[in-house]
Amino acid sequence: MTSSSAPSRKALSKIACNRLQKELVEWQVNPPAGFKHKVTDNLQRWVIEVNGAPGTLYANESYQLQVDFPEHYPMEAPQVIFLHPAPLHPHIYSNGHICLDILYDSWSPAMTVSSICISILSMLSSSTVKQRPADNDRYVKNCRNGRSPKETRWWFHDDKV
Amino acid sequence: MAEEEVLVEVEAVEAVYGQDCRVIQHFPPLLHVHIRPRTADDSSKQFVEAVLEIKAGCQYPDEPPQVGILESKGLDQKRQANLVMSIHLKAQELSSCLMLIALCEEAVEMLSNMNHPDGDCPLCLYPLVREDGEHDTEPFMKLMSCYHCFHSECVMRWWNWLLEQKQSNSGDVVEAALPASGDVENLRDESSGSCPVCRKVFHAGDIEHVHDLVQSGSTQLISEEIEAGEGRMEVLHSEAENNRRQRFEAVLKLQKENGGLIEPKKINVLLPGMLLPEPPAPPPPPPTETNPEKRDEGPPSGPSLETGNPATTTRPTTSNNTGNRRMKSRASFLRNEVSKSSRRNWIKKQCSPP
Repeated sequence: MTSSSAPSRKALSKIACNRLQKELVEWQVNPPAGFKHKVTDNLQRWVIEVNGAPGTLYANESYQLQVDFPEHYPMEAPQVIFLHPAPLHPHIYSNGHICLDILYDSWSPAMTVSSICISILSMLSSSTVKQRPADNDRYVKNCRNGRSPKETRWWFHDDKV
Repeated sequence: MAEEEVLVEVEAVEAVYGQDCRVIQHFPPLLHVHIRPRTADDSSKQFVEAVLEIKAGCQYPDEPPQVGILESKGLDQKRQANLVMSIHLKAQELSSCLMLIALCEEAVEMLSNMNHPDGDCPLCLYPLVREDGEHDTEPFMKLMSCYHCFHSECVMRWWNWLLEQKQSNSGDVVEAALPASGDVENLRDESSGSCPVCRKVFHAGDIEHVHDLVQSGSTQLISEEIEAGEGRMEVLHSEAENNRRQRFEAVLKLQKENGGLIEPKKINVLLPGMLLPEPPAPPPPPPTETNPEKRDEGPPSGPSLETGNPATTTRPTTSNNTGNRRMKSRASFLRNEVSKSSRRNWIKKQCSPP
C-alpha cells in the first residue's frame, strides 16, 4: 500500500496531533526511565535517547531512536528505527530496523511512544549476546533504497529476547 | 460459636447471592462471590465487577476471614486495594459476629460507589469522565468482554479504520506491503475484534450498537480528513458539513418540540403493553398513529447523539439495554442486541430483522 510506504511525508491528522501533544505532555511529566526526548519543534518526528539499563550488556551505552508518526497515528503504528550506530542485538539490523512485533503486526492504538520505548529497552535488556541477526546482510541489502521497516514482512519467531 | 451456625450462614449467603455465590467448601467456609454494583441490573450501566474469595478459618467468626480479589473488571490497582482495605476494616469492626453477608454487602457498596470508568480513553488519552464538570462529557462505551472503556467516537474511528484496512487489503493480499499474520487476520474478521488494551476478543455486535450513537463514524473521519487537508473555511461550506448541519437542525427542532427531551419520547412509544402481540382491538390505533410519527423521529434521534449533544447522551451509551445481570457478559449482550434490534424493528421498518 502506498500510504504505508511514505508514512512520514503526509501531515498528521488533527486527531493524531491532539494525541501526540497529549503524549508529549505526559512524557514531560513522567518520562520512561532511561529515555530522553530530544526537544525539537517537529511533533511528527521524535528523536529519543536510550540509555542501556544498568547490569545488562548495554549498560553505559547510549543510542538514538527515531520515531516517525504517520498521518493516522495511532491507528497506524509509528515507524521506529535506531539511528546510526544501532546497538548490536539479535533483533536489530545494522540499518537500525528493529524486529519487534508491536511495531508492526501487533501494534495497537492503545500503545504509546512511552510503552514502545519500554518494550525496546526490555528487548535490549534481555539479550544475552551482542550480535546482528543472522540474515542482517541480506536484509540490509534489500533495504538499500531507503525502504521503511513497516514495509517488511516480518517473521517473528523468537519471543525470548 | 458452633459449626452449625456458620453452616447456616453459608446457606444464607448462597440464598442471597444465588448463582453469584460459589461455595467451594462449607466448613470452614471458602466462598467465591461475584460482586457487582447495585446499579447493575442494567448491564450497560455496569463498569466494574469483582470476584471475591472469602476464606474463613476454623476459628471463624472469632477470627475474621481473609478476603481477596480473584478477578475483577474495570478496577485498577488502586481501586482494588481500596476495595480490599475497606472489606478488611469492616471485618475488624464486626469481629466475632457472623459477617459473611455483611462483608459482601460492604463490597457491593464499594463497587456501587466506584461504578464509573476510571482514567483516560486509551485511544485519545483524554479523560473518559471529566471530574471538573465544566466540560460536557463525551459519550463513551465499554467492551463487554473486558470492561475496557473508550469514547464511543474513538472506538468507532478505530473500528472503521480496521474495516477500511481490511477492504483495501483484500485486493492486494499477495503484496507483502502490509503485514499479514494469523493474528491480524483474526482481528480483521468482521465478526470479531480484539480489545486495543488487552487483546481480549469481542464480537462485532459488542460495538456495532455504538454505531447507532456515533452514527456514521466514517463521515467524521472523512470530515476530519477534510479539515486536515483543506483548512477550516472550506470545511464550513463543504457538503458534508452542510449535511451535518441539516441533520443537527432537524434534531434541534425535534428537541424543541419535545421540550428538550428525546429519550422519554422513545420510552413512551415503547410501552411494554404495546409490544405484546396478544392485546386485541383497543391498542392497535395508537401504535399506528405513533408509528409514522416515530418513523420520522427515528433517524434524527441517531444523529442527535452523534452530534455530541451531551444532554441526551448521558453516560451509558447502550441506551436501551434491559440486561439480566445473571447472564454472562457476551451472552447477555447479544441478547440485548437482539431484543433491542427486534424492538427497533417493530418501530421503524427500515431496520433489518435480527
